[in-house]
Amino acid sequence: MIVCRLEEIDMTDFRTLGLLFAVSVLMISVTTQMCFAVDEVEARGLISQAEHDLISAYAAVAAAKDAGANVSALIVRLDEAGGLLARASGLLGVGDYGNASLLAVQCSFTVLGVVDAAETLKVEAEARSRDSFFMSAAVSSVGLSVLFVLSLLGWNFFKKRFFRQVLDMKPEVGGAE
Amino acid sequence: MNFGDFKLFYWLSCLALGLVILSPTLAIIVKLPGGERFSEFWILGPEHMAEGYPFNVSENGVYKIHLGISNHMGDLEHYLVYVKFRNQNESLPNNVNGTPSVLQPLFEYRVFLEDGGVWERQVLFSFGGVSREGNLSRVLRLSLDGSAVNVDKVAAWDQTNKGFYYQLFFELWRYNATASAFQFHDRFVGIWLNMTVAV
Repeated sequence: MIVCRLEEIDMTDFRTLGLLFAVSVLMISVTTQMCFAVDEVEARGLISQAEHDLISAYAAVAAAKDAGANVSALIVRLDEAGGLLARASGLLGVGDYGNASLLAVQCSFTVLGVVDAAETLKVEAEARSRDSFFMSAAVSSVGLSVLFVLSLLGWNFFKKRFFRQVLDMKPEVGGAE
Repeated sequence: MNFGDFKLFYWLSCLALGLVILSPTLAIIVKLPGGERFSEFWILGPEHMAEGYPFNVSENGVYKIHLGISNHMGDLEHYLVYVKFRNQNESLPNNVNGTPSVLQPLFEYRVFLEDGGVWERQVLFSFGGVSREGNLSRVLRLSLDGSAVNVDKVAAWDQTNKGFYYQLFFELWRYNATASAFQFHDRFVGIWLNMTVAV
């Protein structure tokens, strides 16, 4: 028996549960597709859903990439899902609705969780970027302050030295010839 | 150097040093415009060179080309490549208007490419149900990478170029996030095929 205190359940657990639920729904969907014949309308609907899932995943990955995250692993999954969807569209064109539906569902499976993963990577990348900016700004501020103080001290030093040199100069008297 | 020149030189030097110290932070804030944004799209022959493309084709042969895309759009791109097949009378994409061919795609490839990324794949194709009646040639099936699709194309004898000409071509489309749709990227590549030696 699993005993779990309420305070131990955080948002990650809920997300995992949601993911498991979605996987279960899709698995039931696949099984249903295998057991029953699929007509063109259903196949088109599944392909359309797969395309929507793929586009959503792509948008999330692109946003994460813009934020500076390393999304190479997610792009591999997008490519895999894209290949499945392309094959599904091809099979739909030749009237193989059963296999087209199967591939469309596989495509949706492949991108399952990509949106969440991309959002996590995006948040991490944004946090890294923010930290990097604050660190850089802090270093620059300290550097500029030091430069300001040193430049004032340096200017006083050079000014005094310049005037001392001027005062130490022996006057030259030019006589009229 | 008089005192005024020295003063100017000193404070300009301090300002330059200040900018150097500030440059890492400025680099994060200021985004400089990138270079020209474009995508490359190409076909290479069986030996991965821009030569030796399949031209004289028949029902018995399997022909190989290489198809490639390179992304210089500055972002992660979602490309869609439509494979189309036409005879000499059917429409090609319009370069002037930037519109795609009205022909239905027979196959498609979906590609996700990071900026600077290159995608390339080998494409194998063959024909089935090739027949000839007088001045007409007919192709019933086109197979691409092992998947066959009905095309049922008829080409008339080309008196000028002495052959029955078909064209296998590829259109490059790109997902436009603003429009939430794929849009023709105004690029296509293709090869002419002469079915004269068929059957």
